[in-house]
Amino acid sequence: MSIELKNIHFSYGKVKALEGIDLSLSEGAVGLLGPNGAGKSTLLRILLGFLSPDRGEGRVLGYDIKQEQSFIRRYVGYMPEDDCLIPGMDAVSFTSYFGELSGMPRQEAMKRAHEVLFYVGLGESRYRLLETYSAGMKQRLKLAQAIVHDPKLLFLDEPTSNLDPQGRKEILELIEDITSKRDIQVLISSHILPDIESTCSYVVILNKGRLAAQGKISELKEITYRLYEIKVKGEEERFLEKLKRMGCKVDETEDKLIKVYMPSHQDLMEIFRVALEEKIQIRHFVKSQTSLEDLFAKTVGVD
Amino acid sequence: MMIREKGYTHWDGILRERRYPWWPITRLGIKLTFKRKHFKFLFFGSLVPAVAYLAGIYISERIEDFRYILRGSQRFLQINPAYFKSYFTSDFLLFMMVMILVFCGAGLISDDLKYNSLQLYFSKPLRKKDYFLGKASVIFFFLLMLTLVPGIVFFVMKLIFSGSFQFLRTYPWLLLSVIGYSALVTIFFSFYTLLISSLSKNRRYVGILIFAIYIFSDIFFGIFFGIFKNQYFSLLSLKGNLQQVGALFFGQKPPFQVPWLYSFFILLCVCFLASAILKKKIKGVEVIK
Repeated sequence: MSIELKNIHFSYGKVKALEGIDLSLSEGAVGLLGPNGAGKSTLLRILLGFLSPDRGEGRVLGYDIKQEQSFIRRYVGYMPEDDCLIPGMDAVSFTSYFGELSGMPRQEAMKRAHEVLFYVGLGESRYRLLETYSAGMKQRLKLAQAIVHDPKLLFLDEPTSNLDPQGRKEILELIEDITSKRDIQVLISSHILPDIESTCSYVVILNKGRLAAQGKISELKEITYRLYEIKVKGEEERFLEKLKRMGCKVDETEDKLIKVYMPSHQDLMEIFRVALEEKIQIRHFVKSQTSLEDLFAKTVGVD
Repeated sequence: MMIREKGYTHWDGILRERRYPWWPITRLGIKLTFKRKHFKFLFFGSLVPAVAYLAGIYISERIEDFRYILRGSQRFLQINPAYFKSYFTSDFLLFMMVMILVFCGAGLISDDLKYNSLQLYFSKPLRKKDYFLGKASVIFFFLLMLTLVPGIVFFVMKLIFSGSFQFLRTYPWLLLSVIGYSALVTIFFSFYTLLISSLSKNRRYVGILIFAIYIFSDIFFGIFFGIFKNQYFSLLSLKGNLQQVGALFFGQKPPFQVPWLYSFFILLCVCFLASAILKKKIKGVEVIK
């Protein structure tokens, strides 16, 4: 197991950020999802040893998160959300500098810096001052410094934020390429659900500091609910109310499309039965392809 | 932009624990400081007093040859601890040191705060003390070049020019004084600079603060001393405190009628205060409790 957490609790003063998080992640790309304030960043910070949990224990790559942070950081790459640079440096010196700080010999770090900068697409501009870089280039640079020492575990915090569609596509390609190497595990924290869906097979959803769901995306989508899209004619209020009482989560979009998240144990025909009772005409009924967005909305309770 | 023409490749080396993990930080700090506009001019300019004092040591050994230049100034050229003290505690040298701090020290932490690079540093196997040591060593390097290095050169050149060890026999403790005072002034200025550098994200403000606190502490001393005629106000002046302790190191009469221990205590307090604030302020992540 590369990440194992048991009953992790953390508070910022009186505000509980994480409550009883249990996680066990092994290989591949894992998406870390959750609304603002769910505790994603706190969890990443605990995994990196920036913060020490109030209670609970955990190991990253076999090292204790409370006692052996420096070992963890040696073998982990971290790409922060914010723009990070050192003014006056070019990309080669910047990347090799952080390689050296990770424990690489100086010449090896320099050689590897050239390689990773070509890999992330900054080869042509590797001698330019960092202050002149665009947002997309800074994002690639952060990725370069995170992978320069060939980490076993890579933490990516909002890797595609502030990027144009093309830049986002290219960064996702890079992440997919890295995750295709079976010996590197990637933990991606992101708000952009399609990014997680396209790069990760496993997802961890946090909500209000608690673990809301975790598992393979495909299995979570199948097991927990079915999604139907319905359009109706008639007084729909009582109809929707009855569906909710049955245990369904109901969302209505602006164009009057009703999304019904139905628990797996419920019978589909119940929807029609309730419609009949309430004298509602069902004009449109489709079993929808569930997306991660739907799973997220169902789990966390937000659109 | 060309992306991953050959895909991600592994690095086949072994990551090792560095013996001096702070050294890359120091090396980078020195390199970036030398890249700054006008810094080389300032730095080499601040070595002018050292060259002048070295010339003084040479002339003191060739006093007969330079009699026509010296006329009545032979007293100045007696090479003794007072000569060393006058170099180390001179207003000009201390001023130039502060100017160098403005160039080399102002951005050391404030730039990391401004450009969010602290989280990159602390995501590497680097302890807080390595980070501080790396940053402080940049200041150590430049200040020791102005204090310890000239001090040792003066001492060695005095022995070479005189052709005997008489000077060493007369003042066997002088070399220790040079080392001790250089260490004190360097450590004090390092804490002082790092503290101010951690207070703002703007290196210009930090530079102004480094300069202003040093200058205004001396101006306030002048004002209060002028009004109350009490030498204890010298404790307000950073320069005054350094000169007071410097006189003790070189076995000379202190410039002010105030126990040197008070001055030493004030310098020590600044260092402790800086250390406590830095420890609290510098974190891999900003945590608001």
